[in-house]
Amino acid sequence: MAEVRLVDIEKKYGSFLAVPKQSLTIHDGEFLVLLGPSGCGKTTTMRMIAGLEDITSGDIMIREERINDKPPKDRDIAMVFQNYGLYPHMTVRQNIEYPLKLRGIAKAARTKRVQETADKVELGALLDRRPSELSGGQRQRVALARAIVRTPSIFLMDEPLSNLDAKLRVTMRAELKHLHHELGVTTVYVTHDQMEAMTLATRVAVMREGRIVQLDTPKKIYAEPADLFVAGFIGSPSMNLIDGKVSDGVFRADGVNVPVDLPNRDGVVLGIRPEELEITDDATAPIGGQLYALELTGESTLVTLRNGPVSACARGHADFEAEINSPCYLTPKPGARFHLFDRASGERLDGVKH
Amino acid sequence: MKDRLLPYWLLIPAFIIVLATTIYPLAYSFITSFRDWDLTESRRPGGFVGVENYAYAASESAFLNSLWVTTVFVVTSVILTVILAVALALLLRRTGPMHTFTRIILILPFAMSPALIGVSYRFMFNPEFGVLAQGLGAVFPALQGVPWLADPLLAMGILVLTDVWHWTPYMTFMCLGGLASIPRETEEAARIDGASNLRIIFGIILPQMRGVILVMAVLKTIFALKMFDQVVTLTGGGPGTSTETLAYFIFNVGFRWFDMGYASALAWILTAIMMFISIWYVRMLLSERKMATA
Repeated sequence: MAEVRLVDIEKKYGSFLAVPKQSLTIHDGEFLVLLGPSGCGKTTTMRMIAGLEDITSGDIMIREERINDKPPKDRDIAMVFQNYGLYPHMTVRQNIEYPLKLRGIAKAARTKRVQETADKVELGALLDRRPSELSGGQRQRVALARAIVRTPSIFLMDEPLSNLDAKLRVTMRAELKHLHHELGVTTVYVTHDQMEAMTLATRVAVMREGRIVQLDTPKKIYAEPADLFVAGFIGSPSMNLIDGKVSDGVFRADGVNVPVDLPNRDGVVLGIRPEELEITDDATAPIGGQLYALELTGESTLVTLRNGPVSACARGHADFEAEINSPCYLTPKPGARFHLFDRASGERLDGVKH
Repeated sequence: MKDRLLPYWLLIPAFIIVLATTIYPLAYSFITSFRDWDLTESRRPGGFVGVENYAYAASESAFLNSLWVTTVFVVTSVILTVILAVALALLLRRTGPMHTFTRIILILPFAMSPALIGVSYRFMFNPEFGVLAQGLGAVFPALQGVPWLADPLLAMGILVLTDVWHWTPYMTFMCLGGLASIPRETEEAARIDGASNLRIIFGIILPQMRGVILVMAVLKTIFALKMFDQVVTLTGGGPGTSTETLAYFIFNVGFRWFDMGYASALAWILTAIMMFISIWYVRMLLSERKMATA
């Protein structure tokens, strides 16, 4: 159990600023996800916590102890790598046993803990195989077992599921979540997959160009994205973002008229989630255009309409059918909310009328 | 001419060249190895003598000596070269301007002709004016005036040194290639698991390098078995016959004493040793592959 604090940490490679100065506190027992597109500094941040990367300036505290200069092995952490990082010349048993062996734990105790851990991740029967004889999912379990066998106070996971196929990823996601619930160990998890972040996290830190742009619960990030980047990044299909301007208290774009509480200005982006829109015949609906595409996803149909440069998508009923290019209108569902952003800075603007 | 025959016609010139330069001499020397042929008496091979040439080799002390010399040379040279190459590769695997520069100048010893290496080391170890002999004497007074190349053990040592100096760079590059193929995560995982630097090298990196190190060792063994140039230019096989390697001995038998039949038999003994090692190596390598992909 441990709280991790990053205090004014900064990372530079030569003159390139990978992670600008910022702070972050990871609470005890929390599952914190660092989410962002590739190259946003999330892995670098995690590697700094692990001690695999030096910090240019700032402090890393674990349990209020400054650990900047401690080698990785003395930080009481365990890490799961994207490519598993298994030792190919060792059997599954030897892989899991290795951290215990290095810590001088007696043979009998080691054997017992390896067996218990292997059973926990359902590897009990595969202990004498080599990593090359295992499937991707099994290898990932070995990596997990190697991390949990030592009962560290912090888990670091660097895109652990991204090398697995889609179906396995969902299963493993649930297993990870269960494991975290069971062990209650502080976990830092890096991913570029917003779905993983939403499903696993206690809190999500959305990162962009090295900077944390929003740090909050998945629910809050989904409901109230801090800026245009987060709004577009979180959610699938992603939020409709419509360029337009405000005049006379109304947000206007081609076929779009939404009353807002903002003074007249150009360069405004209106956002609304597809699942908060519904299809209507009412020609006075806030969003109107021609039907552009229908995509059946199984449980629903994604309805996309276009009007000049404006494009908007709604999650409609699976049975919805209409002619392509026929007029189509979208209206917010009860309780739905519009978001407003400044085009140039991406910042969130208040002033949406509900 | 039919099109499907064309490829064969195109292959014929290459086939003839290979036949004339490789297969024919090989076959000819194999046949010669069963004949009596003294070049000072006849320009043509003499009569067949069965395995007499081979039988003679088994009892001749000069040949047995060269076999022993070659074994000592191969074992020390291979072990030293491989260890040095692995160590250098571990030092040089990081990237950076200095590492790249060092890698580039490292290739120079390998670019030098072995005969030239022999000559220069001969000069450098000359007790009167050799820079290495003088330098060593200046640093360690006990080494002043040591007749380096006149002592059997030291001469062998210097012969090994020249070969190690010549081959280490190339082997280092092979090793660097092998190191680059090891996923960085295994090393980082070990670091987090609590392994010391030495344990990471011996417990994590080197086991993954087994295949590459094996290839290095076998290639180096085959090259060392053929050691000839430096013997000629550095020691001339001496003092006495203490650095007379198999290849050098065969050369003497054939082109100094002109006993072509015996020389051919000896050459085939050397070929057999190398073939044996090559076959063993391929089998080891295949089983290594099987283990890696199983």
